[in-house]
Amino acid sequence: MKNCIACGMPMKKESDFAMGDPQKDYCVYCARPDGSMQSFEEKKQGLINFTIKTQGLEKSVAEKAVANMMSKLPAWQEYFKK
Amino acid sequence: MKTKRQVQKEATRLHILETAYQIYAEEGFSATTNQIAKAASVSHGTIFVHFPTVENLIVCLLDDFNAEINGQLHGLSEKNEQLETFLEAHINVLIRYEAFYKRLISEVNSLPQEAKFVFINMQSIVSFHFNQVIERCKNEKTVKEIPMHIIFNSWLGLVHYYLTNSYLFTEGSVLTEYKEELICNFIKLIEK
Ligand SMILES: [Zn+2]
Repeated sequence: MKNCIACGMPMKKESDFAMGDPQKDYCVYCARPDGSMQSFEEKKQGLINFTIKTQGLEKSVAEKAVANMMSKLPAWQEYFKK
Repeated sequence: MKTKRQVQKEATRLHILETAYQIYAEEGFSATTNQIAKAASVSHGTIFVHFPTVENLIVCLLDDFNAEINGQLHGLSEKNEQLETFLEAHINVLIRYEAFYKRLISEVNSLPQEAKFVFINMQSIVSFHFNQVIERCKNEKTVKEIPMHIIFNSWLGLVHYYLTNSYLFTEGSVLTEYKEELICNFIKLIEK
């Protein structure tokens, strides 16, 4: 089983993959409408908004939690080089 | 290909993590690396070869735990699933790790900062699936217009209350015994 390189979600069904294509490394939620992968900023903002919406977190807490999560994902390594 | 040495190194790392999981579940996060080393039958120094600090050990352990929860919840969640099915899947995953999870929620406030973020991200995995189900229920007008975070936090609050105060309810697995009651009454609270 693959995990999405941009958000970590497990991908097992075809419908989990971007464009329903199991060759892709990223999931349907990390794809733009045209099928390309979202940028770092787009994904970060999306995750922050999502965390606030579903867990009610204060913005700065959500930002730090999202940064922690993204720093561990293959797609975003270059943004976290020390 | 991995060398024999690398394979062995990974096996030791995993063994330390599994032992730490057991010890923390039994003793809480104040358990020492000495205790973990002893239980794992490795030298104290070996732990620090793999994990430079205790904080790093806890964070790595929680990262693995998140990956496990992520895989299981994703496996149990289906498209178009019912609210009840999702809540049951969530509780079933927690039952599998009940002792450890109970320690985690009781002590998360005193864990290192990074561990707290990993904990938030664990809840994000749950809220991701939960939100999908609730959005659909809202479209079908089967649940009340309550903000998503209040629905989610109320559910977590309920489950966590029973877990952290399990001595009030049972000597066994509180989630196993109260699962049905919690699920069916939580749905009654939010359904239209
Ligand atoms: Zn993704």
